[in-house]
Amino acid sequence: MIQRIVQDRIYLLIALLMVVSIITGIIFPTTFPTFTNFSQIFLNVSIDAIVAVGMMLLLISGVFDLSVGSVVAFVACLVAYFMQEANIPVPLAILLAIASALLIGLVNGYLIAYKEINPMIQTLAMMGIVRGAALMISVAGAQNLPYHFNIIGQSKLLGVQMPVWYMLLTVLVFSFLMTRTIFFRRYYYIGGNEKAAELSGIHVKKMKMIAFVISAGLAGVAGILISSRLGAALPTLGRGLELRVITAVILGGASLSGGFGKIPGALLGALFMGIIANIMVIARVSGYWQEIILGIILIFTLWLDKALLKKYSKL
Amino acid sequence: MEQLRLEHISKSFPGVKALDDINIEVKQGEVHALCGENGAGKSTLMNILSGNLRPDEGTIIINGEPVSFDNPKEAFEKGIATVHQHLSLIDNLSVAENIFANQHPVNRLGLIHYKKMYQQTADVLTELKINIAPTMLVSALSPAQKQMVEIAKALARKPQLLILDEPTASLTDKEIKVLFNIIYHLKQQGVSILYISHRLSEIFELADRVSILKDGKYEGTFQKAALTTQQLIKRMVGRDLIDLKPSSAKQSTILLEVKNLSGEKFKNINFKLHRGEIVLLSSHPAKAIEKGIAYLSEDRTHLGLFLQMSVQDNIVSANLKSARKGNFYSHAKAKELAEESKTKLRIATPSVGTKAQNLSGGNQQKVVLAKWLQTHPEILIVDEPTHGIDVGAKFEIYGLLKELATSGKGILMISSDLPELLGICDRILVLNKGTVSGELLHADATEEKIMALASH
Repeated sequence: MIQRIVQDRIYLLIALLMVVSIITGIIFPTTFPTFTNFSQIFLNVSIDAIVAVGMMLLLISGVFDLSVGSVVAFVACLVAYFMQEANIPVPLAILLAIASALLIGLVNGYLIAYKEINPMIQTLAMMGIVRGAALMISVAGAQNLPYHFNIIGQSKLLGVQMPVWYMLLTVLVFSFLMTRTIFFRRYYYIGGNEKAAELSGIHVKKMKMIAFVISAGLAGVAGILISSRLGAALPTLGRGLELRVITAVILGGASLSGGFGKIPGALLGALFMGIIANIMVIARVSGYWQEIILGIILIFTLWLDKALLKKYSKL
Repeated sequence: MEQLRLEHISKSFPGVKALDDINIEVKQGEVHALCGENGAGKSTLMNILSGNLRPDEGTIIINGEPVSFDNPKEAFEKGIATVHQHLSLIDNLSVAENIFANQHPVNRLGLIHYKKMYQQTADVLTELKINIAPTMLVSALSPAQKQMVEIAKALARKPQLLILDEPTASLTDKEIKVLFNIIYHLKQQGVSILYISHRLSEIFELADRVSILKDGKYEGTFQKAALTTQQLIKRMVGRDLIDLKPSSAKQSTILLEVKNLSGEKFKNINFKLHRGEIVLLSSHPAKAIEKGIAYLSEDRTHLGLFLQMSVQDNIVSANLKSARKGNFYSHAKAKELAEESKTKLRIATPSVGTKAQNLSGGNQQKVVLAKWLQTHPEILIVDEPTHGIDVGAKFEIYGLLKELATSGKGILMISSDLPELLGICDRILVLNKGTVSGELLHADATEEKIMALASH
């Protein structure tokens, strides 16, 4: 039983989150354990977590996508351009912008799966291309987006901001799909052993391409949410998002070699990083230190992971 | 009634004609053995039948109907299931998820029905007499258990034609018996079986008919009764094989002595290897090499070779210092050493610049042997040296080991292939449950005695 709990990153992360929260709550009793602070943490985490769900899917199948941060910015700028410059109605503008994100994912996925281009190189190149396109569309950015667009990210339900609900919905839906449908279950086989998956009758290439499309689509949704929440679209949105999200997903139990990970892990990993960032703000740690500390956390988790696996695999 | 007919199947790879006009027919409810040396085209033919490769020419006819497969899935749909030699299992998933890979039982909503999946898995495992939990991770299984799960996976697809590729390579006698019973049972149900194995004794036990391939060409199909082992080998290899006698170069000096060695999986191991004296095994490989010990791992492709590097690079890899001129690594010197090994060990490769992955199993094993001989060892530990190697190459490896023993090196061979042990070894140590259960000299050793010591 202990073995199971330690090996399952989900339990470990929940325990860690509780310990960290309780300790911080004791040290900063007035600022940390409040409803306002926690809803702020969840709101900050929501965009990362939605992108992390797509990244989890990719890492389970043994690949990753560095262009997601650029896609967030691109979709934000594109939807603003459609609404303000081209006068396209809000719903259609959103659909078109998300469709463009899907197209980016399709290009990435096709070249990686069918033309066997290294995922790191392909998505690194796409990261530059898409960021450039975002800058080209918006130059300095767009402000005062339409009211009907802004309410998507700014309204509340039961006192909680909408992006948090979208995040929870995304996690629940994908968690269900990954455990209960054969289609999504295939990604564990592909990440575990591509050749064996092929011999088991799985169309590995097609499935891989679809994973990139889904991941880019979720990044597109994140782009819509962030711009509607801010009421503005900046071409610099989502800078560094890809590394933050990959860190969260690995914290959440994925492995760069593929085959491991569960969708709730993506949420918990993102939440953990969000709480640490929040604690550092409360404790008035400088911004420079925040990045250093997040890097150290990632290395520490990976080391802990190896150590625990070694210890308990002998039992 | 015929179940499967192959007509004029040909397949070429760059530089090689792997299959050349193959015509084979398999009857319903028949065990049909496919024989041939490595490189004869058995794997290619199997890959074509399982939808993994497409033939360049020819037709596959199933139940009188011509078919063509674009991928493994289409082969399953036509009732062909394959037990692959290199396992098609996923380590980090459960036994049940492996057996029902991509064909999970579903409920009315089309969602995976886990309870049903575990139940059906338990049923298949019971039928195969495998005592493991359906929820267990495949990574925790032994190689033999993995092989049995692989078989379970094929059976779960309820095939009409079952292709078995070297299914017994990692199984014990007990498991082989279970497998054979299942094969007989399937046969009675009218399932056809295409059985590929290097173990000729199995072929004579199981098969109704035998088809032979040699260098990608069809050598004919024979009734088992009309064939002797000698004739079969001759048709496969194209020449007679000489019998091997042990080296008998044994000297009285002790080369390696192990006293009361204990570890996680064994205890109190004692034995001596003659000529010279060196103890201490469980240290860093670099230390062992310095002390004159070379270890040829069982897992040749993962632990023995750098598959994507050339034969030359592989041969010098364990002793890069030997390829120096002055203080610098010399490609010319490395090439010289590699050429020397190539001649000495008769490695069949177009050149020493060829990538190791392009050689046959037997020649790969020779490269591994050459690599370790570069470290000038006194003691060679060889673990299952002929695993997955065809008959002709097997005898060549034996010959090389014998020559090495004659030249004064001590050889510690680990093997579960009894005829192999009886044929070549001076002495046989039998291990059982982590301890040495007996020692036999060549003259007294028989298969029965070894089995008795290994399983009492």
